[in-house]
Amino acid sequence: MFTGSDNKVAIVAGAQTPFKAAWADRQHVDLIGDVINGALKGTGLRIQDVDFVIDSGSDILDGRSISNCGFLGAMGAHQKEESRVEEDGLWAALYGATKIGSGSAEVGLLLAYSKPSEGSVPAFYWSQCEPFYQRPVGFGQAAAGGLQAQSYLARHSLSDEIFADVVAHDWANAARNPAVDVEAAPSADEIRSSDVVAAPLRELEMARQVDGAVAMVITSERVAERICPDPVWITGIGTAMDQHAFSMRERDSLPACRAAAEAAYKRAGIDDPTTLSLAEVSASSAATELMVIEALGLADPGTAAQVYGGDGPAINPSGGALPADPIMATGLARLHEAALQLTDRVDHGPDGATSAVVHGAGGVGMQNHCVFTLEV
Amino acid sequence: MDTKAAAKKMEMRGKGLGSSVTENPVFPGRIELPYTLTTGRAAATFLAELANHKIVGSRCPRCDGIFVPAQDFCAACGTSLDEFVEVPASGKLSGYTETADGLIGLVRLDGATNDFPHKLLDTQLGELKLGARVEASWAAEAEGSILDIEGFALGGDEGGEVKPLEPGAEPVLEQKYEMRLDYAHSYGPYYGMLFDGLATSRRIQGTRCPSCERVLVPPREYCDVCYVRSGEWVDVADTGTIKAFSIIHLEFVGQTREPPYVYAEIVLDGSATRLIHTVAGIDVEDAKERLQIGTKVRAVWKGGDPIGSLEDIEYFEPVFED
Ligand SMILES: [Zn+2]
Ligand SMILES: [Zn+2]
Repeated sequence: MFTGSDNKVAIVAGAQTPFKAAWADRQHVDLIGDVINGALKGTGLRIQDVDFVIDSGSDILDGRSISNCGFLGAMGAHQKEESRVEEDGLWAALYGATKIGSGSAEVGLLLAYSKPSEGSVPAFYWSQCEPFYQRPVGFGQAAAGGLQAQSYLARHSLSDEIFADVVAHDWANAARNPAVDVEAAPSADEIRSSDVVAAPLRELEMARQVDGAVAMVITSERVAERICPDPVWITGIGTAMDQHAFSMRERDSLPACRAAAEAAYKRAGIDDPTTLSLAEVSASSAATELMVIEALGLADPGTAAQVYGGDGPAINPSGGALPADPIMATGLARLHEAALQLTDRVDHGPDGATSAVVHGAGGVGMQNHCVFTLEV
Repeated sequence: MDTKAAAKKMEMRGKGLGSSVTENPVFPGRIELPYTLTTGRAAATFLAELANHKIVGSRCPRCDGIFVPAQDFCAACGTSLDEFVEVPASGKLSGYTETADGLIGLVRLDGATNDFPHKLLDTQLGELKLGARVEASWAAEAEGSILDIEGFALGGDEGGEVKPLEPGAEPVLEQKYEMRLDYAHSYGPYYGMLFDGLATSRRIQGTRCPSCERVLVPPREYCDVCYVRSGEWVDVADTGTIKAFSIIHLEFVGQTREPPYVYAEIVLDGSATRLIHTVAGIDVEDAKERLQIGTKVRAVWKGGDPIGSLEDIEYFEPVFED
């Protein structure tokens, strides 16, 4: 079995645009230029020092095919090795870390962005559904979320009342995070009285899609030692994909997420993930966020709602994906946030944090999962 | 709320909490992709037999599962499937939800191994229970689509059995499918300035890179080559030089001009980048003989009020020096 190389991979810098419902006055390239430039700033690295750029975005969301070709200039990829991941940005980090870990490169730029406000989010997810049996009957991301929530509650004999507290927790954290545009965090009562949009899930219990971009710089240990006083080390990575056919998957849990987490923990030598300082996770709804917490081993099945604010890892100190889901950038934003908190660059992280688990997902009903572990 | 309004609400949800609505102009885009999808053997048979009010599944010889709708490969064990069966048109509800698209249920037909999603008809969320009996409701006319089952309604007797399929219908080998995607693209500050200039005064503007000193059209914040922030705004002429061209005879989806026509990369005087536009004002047969790399061109602007687009330039016409 592959046991990994000894090359360490460091996160040395990152930048993100504020996440907000619509960046109506900025193009994709404007957001991308901001974060690429922002990520390099202060590192002492010039664009010439960058060995490769890996970017994550969606042609369907962008409204053009091979959209990365049009964005190469803004992403600093002119005549560089550039590769596009049509998946959440945490997979861009996976590919980048793999390149550096293998010793084939030393400085990598990672980028993820989305402007869902320009197009239709339901259509983006429908485009991923099977065309003969699924799309015509109206099955899509919302239906998948509703079915998962129903199944989770039924399996554990829980009331749908539990979702509102999870959402309120995340929005309150997002309101403390200057990188997320929140006018006023909704209270649990407001959440419980919002419209039902994918029964039993309510409008505010679904992830809010936002526009934004995030970029990160990862390097070899040799480069990190020269340019960065406080690198964050990637200690483990795992990824797993469930079946495309939604009805063949377990609906009350996320076994692919569990498999991804187990792979990352094994690589990192983490026996008890509840001893980690923090968890930054992605989710399509309050129900799948609870399933992710359980799949990451941070709570027993059916008990995730009870671990928020508990003694274990701080969950989504940034607010997570429910208040701010920039679709293709959601997972990379979690990685960036975790790195900021571990290096004490933001006020909303837990005190004295030294380790983190980071999660990204993709696909209808969260089919695919990617998990990183970090330490300082 | 009707379905359309609800769908709109779902789409607009992102514009709710924590955002200020801005009135920036947007560039409307639409992508229409016409497909002729190949169904494959299993879907071709399933879709065809709906006309006979038969629901076709596949039996897996390896794990003995019955998968509905019919599949070419076993979703549980990956085995290639070639035995079709007819399953009862009634079963149980394994899950349900209501979205802007209506009530959707996961249906487990009697004898089947798996669930599949379909619409639930003539009922309300409050009337549904996990495990409730449901039966297929057939559309008046079959069109070779999963919607030949209009949906499932509460009811239906137990006791139906899975039996070997006696095929009767011609397989539906292809299905037309059209994906339509609508966009409202933001201009951003750089394209915004360019298009404002075109709209108000037929000005073409670029930005100059302070490092390589090239003038970039369309204008952009970062020079692609140097990756330094471009600074100065520069007016560029509406005359230029052909750097490459092609006479287009092919027809393709999304074409905006009738072929044949000449497509060219043009470097406008005062700029360093290539702009793609049409060269016209010359017979296409003449163009073959006379156009060259290096031929000078000038913009021919459309009459009337400009709209603030590169389409305000109708085409570039060649300026021959002889
Ligand atoms: Zn099988
Ligand atoms: Zn330059």
